[in-house]
Amino acid sequence: MLPLGVRVRVLLRLPLLQASWNYERMQSLGVLYILFPALRLIYRDEDLVRACQRHLAYFNTHPFMAAPLLGTVLALEEGGETAVGGAMDVDEFKAMCMAPFAAMGDALFWGGLRPFAAVLALLLAVSGFWWAPLAFLLLFNLPHGVAFIAGLGGGYRQRLGMIERIQGYRLPDLAVRCKEGTGLLLGALSAILVGDTLTLAEVPPIWGAGVLLSVLLLGGLGRLGVSTLILILFMSAALMIVCG
Amino acid sequence: MAFSPDYLYAGLISLLVGLDRTAVLQLLICRPIVAAPLTGWVLGDSQLGLQAGILLELLWLGRLPVGAAIPPDDTQIAVGGTALALVMGAGGVEDLPLLLLSLLVALPLGKCGQFFDHLARLGNGRLLVWAEKDLHLGRPLAATRWHLLGLVFFALASLGTYLGIVLPGSLLLPWLAPYLLPQVGESAPWLFLAFPLVGTAVFLGTLRSRRILALYLLAFFAVYLLREGF
Repeated sequence: MLPLGVRVRVLLRLPLLQASWNYERMQSLGVLYILFPALRLIYRDEDLVRACQRHLAYFNTHPFMAAPLLGTVLALEEGGETAVGGAMDVDEFKAMCMAPFAAMGDALFWGGLRPFAAVLALLLAVSGFWWAPLAFLLLFNLPHGVAFIAGLGGGYRQRLGMIERIQGYRLPDLAVRCKEGTGLLLGALSAILVGDTLTLAEVPPIWGAGVLLSVLLLGGLGRLGVSTLILILFMSAALMIVCG
Repeated sequence: MAFSPDYLYAGLISLLVGLDRTAVLQLLICRPIVAAPLTGWVLGDSQLGLQAGILLELLWLGRLPVGAAIPPDDTQIAVGGTALALVMGAGGVEDLPLLLLSLLVALPLGKCGQFFDHLARLGNGRLLVWAEKDLHLGRPLAATRWHLLGLVFFALASLGTYLGIVLPGSLLLPWLAPYLLPQVGESAPWLFLAFPLVGTAVFLGTLRSRRILALYLLAFFAVYLLREGF
């Protein structure tokens, strides 16, 4: 087993995975940087150089889901499963897992949890709670922290069994639930904002339905490819002309 | 344009939150709901910063930082827009029109962020070449150290975007304010509604899910009817 100090150094380097993100091989240099303290212990001289060259191959996954993946990579490297004969060699494992893990991480963290936490924080903010940004950070970073710390440790301990474990968590289903929750929260947020604005402007509440129609229309324009920047600038100009 | 040290403080925040966007940690202090109040707090008015965060947070929430896609830099728009409003004299939520005008100026200027981010990623491609050269020379430790230089490229991209917003913004705002501030003032409540609603609309449009749209409509009507007391 790798010494605890080495595993801690790998863990501390994990947040820097994307520091040298590039179009050619995306996170590959980051992977090498993270794994290097362990590789240096496992290999010597020419073997170390060859191991480093292997890890400079194309790599791209979700930065948080990289933790369990790289934990397993550490275990496979330590077990010497870099060539035919092992259950699966390191390069095959990385190539096989990075895309599905990226899809799961993107859907859960970027597409599910981030909007959910953001809209909840906005609801708190428009309700007058000054600590709304802190709530956002807490809500997002608890699962983020778990993915990093438990992910790396779990991947290292469970080796290839980690894949089955991650599948068991049904992360894509969790992402869908988060998106549905976001839809509900957005509805509540829109209702509060529309109600407050109509009251302030002394407009009858029945016009709330009209505002809702404009949301649907703008959503349709967005789907047609009209950029958010154009939409907001056009809306602002129109409102300034009408109200001013 | 009069220089204010507040631009310098905001520039330091732009570096910090800009690195969080891609290069380090990704705790999401880069999101407008955090970056704008943070800027406001450092410059002396966290409430105005929070208003900026509320206005900007939803606009590009649906744009995912996936693969080679570079989403619009709402981080630097939040920092730059808040800094512009506060340096131009906004104080307290009663100065919402000046904040709105600052954000309307910062929004198009923030487009430069995608260009600077693209440059940083191109620069990082060179690091890969240098790392490979070091490995060929049998220097693996030196090869890994190139990785950290990527932080400098991303930091420069953040700073470039911030300056790309603040420099022209501080020239444009005093010139535009006499003409546009009265109109913005008249339409401020509607503009304050338009920002989140445009973001909501685009977000729902991006999801392309009838079920989520149905949930949105259900929650809207439930909360609206409860609040308005029909």
